[in-house]
Amino acid sequence: MFGLILRRLMASIPTLLAVVFLSFFLMRFAPGSPFDGERPLDPETRLALDAAYGLNQPIIVQFGRYITGLAHGDFGPSLVYRDFTVTDLIWTGLPVSLLIGALALLLAMAGGIAIGLAATLRPNGPLDRSLMLCMTLLTALPTFVTGPILALVFALWLGWLPVAGWGDGAPVYLVLPVLALTLPTMGAVAKLTRAGLAQIMTQDHIRAAQGRGISGWRLIARHALRPALLPVISYAGPAAAGLLTGAVVIETIFALPGLGRYFVQGALNRDYPLVMGVVTLYAALIVLFNLIADVLYGWLDPRVRG
Amino acid sequence: MSRVLNALPAMLVLLILAAAWLLPPFLPWDYRIIDWDHVSSPALTPGHLLGTDSVGRDLLSRTLIGTRITTMVAIAAASVSLLIGTLWGALAGWCGGRIDNVMMRIVDALYALPFMFVVILLMVVFGRSILLVFIGIGAVEWLTMARVVRGQMLALRQRPFILAAEAAGASPRFIIFRHALPNMAAVILAYLLLTVPQVVMVESFLSFLGLGVQEPMTSLGILVKEGADDMDVFPMALLVPGGVLVTLVISLTLLGERLRDRWAA
Repeated sequence: MFGLILRRLMASIPTLLAVVFLSFFLMRFAPGSPFDGERPLDPETRLALDAAYGLNQPIIVQFGRYITGLAHGDFGPSLVYRDFTVTDLIWTGLPVSLLIGALALLLAMAGGIAIGLAATLRPNGPLDRSLMLCMTLLTALPTFVTGPILALVFALWLGWLPVAGWGDGAPVYLVLPVLALTLPTMGAVAKLTRAGLAQIMTQDHIRAAQGRGISGWRLIARHALRPALLPVISYAGPAAAGLLTGAVVIETIFALPGLGRYFVQGALNRDYPLVMGVVTLYAALIVLFNLIADVLYGWLDPRVRG
Repeated sequence: MSRVLNALPAMLVLLILAAAWLLPPFLPWDYRIIDWDHVSSPALTPGHLLGTDSVGRDLLSRTLIGTRITTMVAIAAASVSLLIGTLWGALAGWCGGRIDNVMMRIVDALYALPFMFVVILLMVVFGRSILLVFIGIGAVEWLTMARVVRGQMLALRQRPFILAAEAAGASPRFIIFRHALPNMAAVILAYLLLTVPQVVMVESFLSFLGLGVQEPMTSLGILVKEGADDMDVFPMALLVPGGVLVTLVISLTLLGERLRDRWAA
């Protein structure tokens, strides 16, 4: 088990390095300099700025310094938020994003598995069909449409919940963003659970259990669910990636002070270090989630431990 | 009844496409023109069937043109993904062995990357041009196609007609393009159809954030964004483009899934 985790960690290093490498050199090939303003700078100021940010060094040295900085958790200075480093901004935004992301992931898993189970009780029955159609629709609904529509209905028309804002993390402010973020992932989880169960139900150990007179909920919960959840677990990695992408939109729509909003602002303002830092962090998070999913997979299915 | 239901996705897609490509010249107001007498007017205002947006532009024209741009970007980007994915997958499947292993490992590694963010990075660095939008999206969405084509290729590789062509001295290029790829055309088409709604989503996502298609051009993503900004006074501006986008994505997904289940299972 420990060996598996270690091997996976080692294998993720090249992926992360590739992301850092790609984003660093893309940024350096970009036309223009971060200091180009409305008026041209006088050459002395320009040289001083370049020296201050280390931009007069050979590019390999700069890359080495960036990597060394990253290894120490230093993402460099932000170019637009002049008084903050990228690390400061990430520390302000990350807790918000992690909170809504984790809530959405939990809800999507719980809700999706429950719906998948309910659909399997009577395969191809009316409940199964209508639930699965709903789930297909949910997976096809983009968050940037569901988010505003949820806000329109529940906040503007019905007036039950606040339209947007953070409210220092008060639960009422979290309901709509988390719900909008949950729905597509929940649809995918429900479909995977349903498909996994349908496949498991034809296997020998299920027929053996049925032969011993076990049926209904007990059969599904005790004998079929655990192997059927394997595809759901391996979906957790992509799901986390999807939630991170969704969170970017959700934070913009609901004006939440999360990482995604800094990312979009950084992208619109060409704040290169901020964008690079957030991309690197997102890559690390996705690699981490894939790792967790792999470990869980090994724990649930002894056959792949090897 | 169920026949009508089965044909519904295809009919909706055709209806939306036909409206977007044929209708705009016949509308009284162009999508860029501001009607100063009717700003933020409700549906069924004379001349504006669905009303106007907060600066007085006709919502119906804007939605139709937005659909046009979105479908254009989607088709172009899906073609880019088709090109890269098919060539990559065919090559890996044909060569087999170590080359196949390395090529598919690269695909696996790319799957793990946060590619949406890499596309955004590209937009930031190289400016936001529509050309880049679809090259960027196409470069992201080819991975599944490569896997599918490679799987098909591995299966075809051992079939007698391919072996016969090889024994007859045909070059690999000839065999791949004249024998293998036409043989898996149906499967490729099904996955291409499934790529299109994905691409529509990515394009709208980028445009929604202001990183995709730029004004004065418009796309469904931009319209949804604008609609979300003034939904308190004029909900139609959100519901109309949002509705078209969702209908398009869902219908294309259902169509693609049905074709895939019929041809690729």
